[in-house]
Amino acid sequence: MRKRAVIAVLCLVALGVAIALSLAVGSRSIDLGTVWQALTDLDPQDPEQLIVSELRVSRTVIGVLAGAALGVAGALMQSLTRNPFADPGLLGINAGAALAVVIGLATGLATSYATQVPVAFVGAGLAAVLVYAIGARGAAAGAPVRLALAGVALTALISSVTYAILLLNDETIEQYRLWVAGSLTGRQNYDVTALAWIVVVAILAGLVASRQLQAIALGEDAARALGVSIGTTRTAIILIVTLLAGAATAAAGPIVFVGLAVPHLARALVGASLPWLLVISALGGAALVLVCDVIGRVIAPPGEIGVGITTAFIGGAIFALMARRMKVVEL
Amino acid sequence: MRTLTLGPVGITTHRRTFAVGLIMSAALAALLVFALMQGQSNITVLDSLRAAVGIPVGAPADFIVGQVRAPRALTAVLVGAMLGLSGAILQSLTRNPLASPDFIGISAGAGAGAVLTLWLVGATSLWVTAAGAAVGALTVAALIFALSFKRGIVPLRLILAGIGMGFVAQAATQYFLTRMDVHEASNALGWLVGSVTGRTWTHVTVAAAVLAILLPPVLWHARALRTMEMGDDAARALGIRVAAARGMLAVCSVLLAAGAVAITGPIGFIALVAPAIALRLTRNAGVTLIPSALMGALLLLAADQVAQMMPTTVQLPVGVFTAAVGAPYLLWLVWRASRGGPA
Repeated sequence: MRKRAVIAVLCLVALGVAIALSLAVGSRSIDLGTVWQALTDLDPQDPEQLIVSELRVSRTVIGVLAGAALGVAGALMQSLTRNPFADPGLLGINAGAALAVVIGLATGLATSYATQVPVAFVGAGLAAVLVYAIGARGAAAGAPVRLALAGVALTALISSVTYAILLLNDETIEQYRLWVAGSLTGRQNYDVTALAWIVVVAILAGLVASRQLQAIALGEDAARALGVSIGTTRTAIILIVTLLAGAATAAAGPIVFVGLAVPHLARALVGASLPWLLVISALGGAALVLVCDVIGRVIAPPGEIGVGITTAFIGGAIFALMARRMKVVEL
Repeated sequence: MRTLTLGPVGITTHRRTFAVGLIMSAALAALLVFALMQGQSNITVLDSLRAAVGIPVGAPADFIVGQVRAPRALTAVLVGAMLGLSGAILQSLTRNPLASPDFIGISAGAGAGAVLTLWLVGATSLWVTAAGAAVGALTVAALIFALSFKRGIVPLRLILAGIGMGFVAQAATQYFLTRMDVHEASNALGWLVGSVTGRTWTHVTVAAAVLAILLPPVLWHARALRTMEMGDDAARALGIRVAAARGMLAVCSVLLAAGAVAITGPIGFIALVAPAIALRLTRNAGVTLIPSALMGALLLLAADQVAQMMPTTVQLPVGVFTAAVGAPYLLWLVWRASRGGPA
């Protein structure tokens, strides 16, 4: 218990450092004193303080929201499917949200941010149900390879439909290719209050449901004996994951592997206790997304690399190494 | 049972497999003739066939059939066969119907290589793009083998390493796309869906050469492949050198996919669906290589005809239509899995 609390505090400190970096580092480095001044006592005449308050604060808030949402969504999916490779990005849930947004852009139904968000939720929800049905049910359920393949197959299918729509609409390509790279920039005018509420409520709901979910992880019979309603819990978890993944995708574009790598590292730190795992995954996910975003800002001057690209690079490598370390019987 | 012998190689087939293979070959021939005929100008069957094999018959047919339709159709046939064969090998090795070279990073690597070349050099010729794609596919393939090699190649580990590398390659592709201007990006997206338009006799020759090089070692190991489906121990007991055969087959499967993707771009779902259909038609217990290749050729050629007949303003790449074949199959796998069946 004490060890876990210490780890949680350390993660909180790491997140604080990541937030400070995200506010200070960029194509124009700003010292922390100026950052603090911009946050507490803004001087509208100072361009550096304006950069912080107008651009970097919203970018940091979106990064924290998306990272925490993806970390928790990954941890919940991995527990639900009892599968170490479950990740909302890998399983095509983000791709479903992306397809829904592209359909919205192409038909003119979802050109504004306010309409894109609900559309992204619908897409994420449909993809979540479909991939769960393919990969997590039936005779061979639980084999990690199967779920991963089902997700990739679904992603491939969704992507080719997305490409087809894009090829018929030149204007949509321009909006889409920036959105799809998972960028935290260019979103400073959006009001993220609603998304923030969704993420906070969904994470709390995940914490509440974690006891039931942990009982199911013991086996369905054991869970029934403990008085847990299996169907209701599963439906609730899928709903929570959809909300989290949809919110993250709407806010920051499709980001893969945060939901895979973060719970994995968190489990190594705090063990299998689900409530702790969710807390650490939320903190760690937020820190990872911010750090990846900062790396993307400085690695290729004068341009920037979208955070979705940085996370895919780092996460893809972690995934391949995980596969290498697993024993064949576990696959 | 029936055995066809050709020198030292003997292929044993069931009577039904043989009959299905013959029917598929006939259907493929018929579809090929249709592909040569289909289009705006009226050219007779005989003239089409003559023009396709290079006998001069007159102005429109020589060019339209001889230089446009024939190479396009033959590219579709050869690439379809390569994809079908590649998918059949991979699905048999992993004993998983969802395994397909599209999903293990080969296509993604080719895509990253091609988009990088398009970004750096521009759309100068299909060959430059193809070379970039081939380099990308082979680089990713080498990385996958390096990551999954641990006392021999373990197919399941190969798939997972491939999925991871695929995401890395896709991230690279997306980075390149954000750096290009809109027209280049649109062009690159078209390549990324996969298409057989504008393919020439040189493409046909390259595809035929890749197939001619890789088909003999695959057929040579066909019996080993079928025996390994019964389990490694059983195969060893029957005198199969499991590690060597598996390594050889995995390399052939990956190279077939890499060759296909370099020629046409990543055309999805043929490698996933063709072996499954072939298996059901032949009602074989195990993998059927030649019917899978024939089925791949049939599917890709048919999808390309549908793509040409669509009344859209822009001709959609054939990859969109192969995805339309893949979708119902995936949904069927869902339906079967939800009823507790294997998938």
